[in-house]
Amino acid sequence: MPLDCGIWLEGIAGSGKTTAAVRRVLHLLASGVPAESILIFVPQRSLAQPYILALRGLTSHRGGQVSVHTIGSLSLQLVETFWFLIAGDAGFKHPQDLPNFLSLELAQYFMTRAIEPLVEERDYFSSVRIDRPRLYSQIVDNMNKAALVGFPISEIGTRLKSALASGVEQAHIYDDAQTCAMAFRKYCLEHNLLDFSLQLEVFREHVWAAPQAQRYLRGRYRHLIVDGVEEDNLASHELINSLLESCQSALIVCDRDAGFRRFLGADPDSAQRLRERCEVRATFEDSFVMGAEVSALGAALAAQLGAADTAESAADPRRALITEAHRYHPEMVDWVATQVEALVHEREAPPNEIVILAPFLSDALRFGLVDGLERRGIPLRTHRPSRALRDEPAARTLLTLARLAHPHWRLPPTDFDVAFALMAAIDGLDLVRAKLLTEMLYRRERLLPFAEVHATAMQERITFDLGERYDRLANWLNRYIDGGRTDAIDIFFRRIFGGLLSRAGFGFHGNIDAGNISMNLVDSAREFRWSLDFMSRYDAQIDLGLDYVRMVDRGVIANSYLRDWIADVEEGVLIAPAYTFLLNNRPVDYQFWLNIGGEGWSRRLYQPLTHPYVLSRGWPPGALWSEDDEQAMNRLTLGRLLLALTRRCRKAVYLGYNELSESGYEPRGLLLETIQSLLRRLAREEQHV
Amino acid sequence: MSLSDDFAFTQGSLGDYADCARRFELRFIKRLRYPALEVQDALQFETRTRQGARFHKMVQQHLLGVPAEALAESLADDEELARWWANYRARGLTDLPAQRLSEITLQTHLAGRRLVAKYDLLALAPGGAAVIVDWKTGARVPSQSSLRGRMQTIVYRYVLAQAGAHLYADERIPPERIRMDYVYVASDGERLSFAYSAAQMRQDEALLAEMIAAIDQADQFALTNELRRCRFCSYRSLCDRGGAGRLEDFDIDEYEDEEEETFALDFDQIAEIEF
Ligand code: SF4
Repeated sequence: MPLDCGIWLEGIAGSGKTTAAVRRVLHLLASGVPAESILIFVPQRSLAQPYILALRGLTSHRGGQVSVHTIGSLSLQLVETFWFLIAGDAGFKHPQDLPNFLSLELAQYFMTRAIEPLVEERDYFSSVRIDRPRLYSQIVDNMNKAALVGFPISEIGTRLKSALASGVEQAHIYDDAQTCAMAFRKYCLEHNLLDFSLQLEVFREHVWAAPQAQRYLRGRYRHLIVDGVEEDNLASHELINSLLESCQSALIVCDRDAGFRRFLGADPDSAQRLRERCEVRATFEDSFVMGAEVSALGAALAAQLGAADTAESAADPRRALITEAHRYHPEMVDWVATQVEALVHEREAPPNEIVILAPFLSDALRFGLVDGLERRGIPLRTHRPSRALRDEPAARTLLTLARLAHPHWRLPPTDFDVAFALMAAIDGLDLVRAKLLTEMLYRRERLLPFAEVHATAMQERITFDLGERYDRLANWLNRYIDGGRTDAIDIFFRRIFGGLLSRAGFGFHGNIDAGNISMNLVDSAREFRWSLDFMSRYDAQIDLGLDYVRMVDRGVIANSYLRDWIADVEEGVLIAPAYTFLLNNRPVDYQFWLNIGGEGWSRRLYQPLTHPYVLSRGWPPGALWSEDDEQAMNRLTLGRLLLALTRRCRKAVYLGYNELSESGYEPRGLLLETIQSLLRRLAREEQHV
Repeated sequence: MSLSDDFAFTQGSLGDYADCARRFELRFIKRLRYPALEVQDALQFETRTRQGARFHKMVQQHLLGVPAEALAESLADDEELARWWANYRARGLTDLPAQRLSEITLQTHLAGRRLVAKYDLLALAPGGAAVIVDWKTGARVPSQSSLRGRMQTIVYRYVLAQAGAHLYADERIPPERIRMDYVYVASDGERLSFAYSAAQMRQDEALLAEMIAAIDQADQFALTNELRRCRFCSYRSLCDRGGAGRLEDFDIDEYEDEEEETFALDFDQIAEIEF
């Protein structure tokens, strides 16, 4: 492919587009193109993985480094770099001070600080039955959508109301969401805070207009590789469009029939406009992934749902489907584990060629699967992005110890938390003895010395060895309290980690997981402190440690975190939400689709304050969103999802079906209905032949 | 467990190995993140490292076209940083070639591995001098001889000689044209310079190749015998090597948080949880 023009490459998933694009990057380098001049632009980092791996494998390359960016990372870097040129014009109250970029959790924290008084005072959202953190995250989400799509945040309420408000109550809710968004924006401008929406807005409206920024970006990036363009948003497309003017070459890769990130502003239609800017257009038609039966299955299901044209195929889709009905959920989970075992042990399928997918992974489902597979000796990895950091044993232990060490917070931990922390902190202490110690020695918010256990029999039951280590822990905490010191919370975590918990005889010693989780908690607490330290010049001082722990309790902070999943060893059966698997874009031999009767496969999450379609670019102003629209969209979304899943499957799809759901209902979801009607149709057609 | 095939060596990782093989193993092979404190006075330590990072960022902003005055105005709250900035302005860029590239990363290969160097500033005159500038914000200026033996001096010059051709009119940079300057902005911008030569390059190459081969072949990574190297190591509790050291004894310029590849914090990745 030529190295001096724009190329548009489209095709179905699995047709080798990314492989071709990776080769192009390597070819550019081999042709002497400086690595610094190459920009790989993707909608999210996981999609850059094939490029990163290929570049890391290049042990013969001498020169610079290729850049990999998303709109988020690039805008952050540029806003930060050119901040002092644009902060005043962008409306920040302290343009001479540094900016403070907020992660999602910190945006929610500051949202809470900025709007909670308003929400309390005016009794906002009292009729909405979901918790505050989730409500606030939807307001953040609305603002992000406005920035990505390019409409002012002041229009959020009007757009939602005109399309969705069926009554006065609902209209009020959207008005309140609008007021909150404006209040948060004002707060950010007054405090030099940039949530993602403001960061992007500042980038689009101010940084990109600055000649220095243009000179830098255009001067630096002469060769553009864009992958997954259909999953990206309007803001990204505008930037790419503009960079095309100055680039020497570009390759834009588009996956047909995709655009799954609509919830995050993906705009496949605006991506198509970039096609017109490319001199060369190429299409990859054939899948190198799917077997004929899997291909027929995907096409038939998608056609059934109106997401693709009916395709004639000689292959029988039923041959790609393996299923067995079960009455109860645990039976289905057990069946899945048995089938995986048979695949791995009898048919010698590599475990990393198997994925187990569900729309959502509840704790119970995840636990059942992990347990079933582990018992059968099958290696596995799970990716559940919304796993709460605070629920990890190491983090929970550190948080409990922090409460014990700071009695002035007046947040004494419960007996159970203390027992749990003792068990995790002291190597070899089981929960029964940890509970006994707690019952006997956790008094008036302090841990008393082991010597206070007066009965010898009890001391012997605990053992003197464990008692001695318990004493070291209790002494450490009591010295800290009596010394009157209050470390910053992250420093406290680090001090007790290094000074005690990671020493020989304690639970974190040589424990890689505990080290990594503790580090994650430290990172989260430090980031929190840095943002708040920074705020202290504008607002009254607060007790950071106390506020951190409170926010953790409320589920605002440390609520979710990302394991280093890019670095995860790609071994083992993957258990993941379906969309997470898709966006990782790695085909496998076998897929298990679980809970196929569940509504989650087709129905959107309940989000009363936001709406992915009404707040998208293509939504006509003033149009009403009806129940028919909802149904049609559910069908289309499911059809696209199934097409995308099958395009990432080589050999077979196993369906996990149980007549009674996890919560005991008879499920009747759209996926189940679609599969059943496909099977009936095929049976009918067979009879007619 | 062994080093991953795509591991890239840097001056930091090689420096860790030179200090203590066990530390290298824990950090880069086992990838054990250990949040124990490096020094007792953690907050002061953090303030110093953040000041250092901010200074580096300011230089980069300045070299990309943000006026020095606008940057200086942001320092009203930090006298020390303002002093460093004044020193940089007065002497930081003196006698440097005109083509200046800040925060640039180069890589070459050696003994079947990638070797990467991330430069604060490269100042080049194709056909003329090629100067590596490294800003140092620590209060102490080390001796010329200790700096000469520092892994950074060895790796940075070598990588530029091997991988800088595309920045130098597509010609390999002759080692004799390469110079490395450490600029101590906290000490009036004092500059310690190190020339380079073909003989030095051969010597450095042999040393680096030997280290890389030793790491690749090692099946055991011994704990250092020099206990002083443990004082500021976060794995002390794992190795049972005492408590955190004192900040006064710590050379802040030896402390660098290295990222292997540039990939800034990605908010989209976080937003992924919305599904
Ligand atoms: S504590 Fe000492 S022995 Fe252990 S890894 Fe660190 S430097 Fe090496």
